[in-house]
Amino acid sequence: MPMTAVARALRARALSPLELVDAYLARIDAAPELRAFITPPGAAARRQVQRAAERIARRETGALLGVPIAIKDLFATRGVRTTVGSKILRDWQPGADAAVVTRLRKAGAIVFGKTNLHEFAYGVSNANPWWGVARNPVDPRRSPGGSSGGSAIAVVAGMCAAALGSDTGGSIRIPAALCGCVGLKPTRGAVPLQGAFPLGWSLDHAGSLTRTVADASLLFQILSGRPAPSRVRTRGLRVGVVRGSITERIQPGVGARVEAAARGLRRAGLRVRDVTIPELDWTVATQLVTLRAEASAVHARWIRQRPRSYGTDVRVRLQLGALVSGVDYVVAQRARDRLRDALDRVFDAVDVLLLATTPITAPVIGERVVRWRAAEEPIDGALVRLTSPFNLSGLPALSVPCGEAGGLPVGVQVVGRWNDEPRVLAVGQVIEEFAQE
Amino acid sequence: MPVTERDRLAAVGRAAGLRLASSDLDRLLPAWKRYIALVEELRAQVVPEPIHGDD
Repeated sequence: MPMTAVARALRARALSPLELVDAYLARIDAAPELRAFITPPGAAARRQVQRAAERIARRETGALLGVPIAIKDLFATRGVRTTVGSKILRDWQPGADAAVVTRLRKAGAIVFGKTNLHEFAYGVSNANPWWGVARNPVDPRRSPGGSSGGSAIAVVAGMCAAALGSDTGGSIRIPAALCGCVGLKPTRGAVPLQGAFPLGWSLDHAGSLTRTVADASLLFQILSGRPAPSRVRTRGLRVGVVRGSITERIQPGVGARVEAAARGLRRAGLRVRDVTIPELDWTVATQLVTLRAEASAVHARWIRQRPRSYGTDVRVRLQLGALVSGVDYVVAQRARDRLRDALDRVFDAVDVLLLATTPITAPVIGERVVRWRAAEEPIDGALVRLTSPFNLSGLPALSVPCGEAGGLPVGVQVVGRWNDEPRVLAVGQVIEEFAQE
Repeated sequence: MPVTERDRLAAVGRAAGLRLASSDLDRLLPAWKRYIALVEELRAQVVPEPIHGDD
């Protein structure tokens, strides 16, 4: 059941919060192999449910009163272990909640366990060496994507009403696309990052993984503190389908879903045209230099003093980042400025961009490369190729399920202007509607 | 003795204060090579405006 429907049913007392939580817990217990949670909901969650039940009985209000929301385990939760998917922080019990957790609690939500992630959120496979290899609920032989993989699993497998995630190169949108749910990475800074363990200071975003676009919209209001947007008229909006070399290497089944989304939007009265943004070709290098340097700055002491406390893949990334020169970082920021300028110019001509979220469907766990006609590409690189431009630019980006390819979910991405979440969500809702037909 | 790329990487790593075991170097070397190639491409794209009278 979507989060908005859960909230309504609880308010109307058509649903008991205790029964609801029991149903979620039963699903968590039934699928331990998916490794959705690092710290499953425990006694503290039960106490919150009991208090929520009493408040509902007293007819108190709250947009999310009694609604269980799972939290990616890099957001600090007061008194609840926050590991960031690592061995280093395996016993960290923060003294305060992250700002997003505070906002959820204020809305009446129940903090419902801490979800699995790639170690320190630094990777997209979610094969966590300390807390277990997370598995895709659609096909457990496959990766759920990451780094917010546990949150996507929990949403898709019906273990919570919705979940929080973070996104530095695609970490909300990638698992949302590979598992089949909605992932919103809002405009940079729209949702506070205080109390979120950093990965890349200039690239990090906090956001949500949900069953529906309406759920994403409500959670965005709560997390950002912005009022509900006035209704957006989608008819006549201008959609730019991103073409060019960055979108050329794509599995045919995924490409077909993007074309279907473009056709559906045209049928719904939107004006769809192709756009090319050559500067997107610089994304991989720009993101690589920026993220490697920033993450290694976060981990500067630990990677030198205790390198064996990291899993192999994260250790190599952090060691590499320690070698990035200041000159390279500056060059990357110059490229980043040009990418931002190019995107600004495109948004003079269109209102939203449309492209695939990932060029491939969920890879089999352990697969390292994807083979295209002329070349091979590392799977990690392929997965972030279409998402990371919008971490570099900070623009809002939404991944919406849009059918399947070979029996696996496909997500399409809607990207908007700075702070234009209302249009992004409105176009996402149009796609959601026809994708369900 | 010729200096190999691996030697150079080990030296750069030491200068950065990293403790790189032999197995670390094995894993880091391909990532380092890919990094260098990407950065060179990026530098070629983001060239400064020409400065006259200073050559």
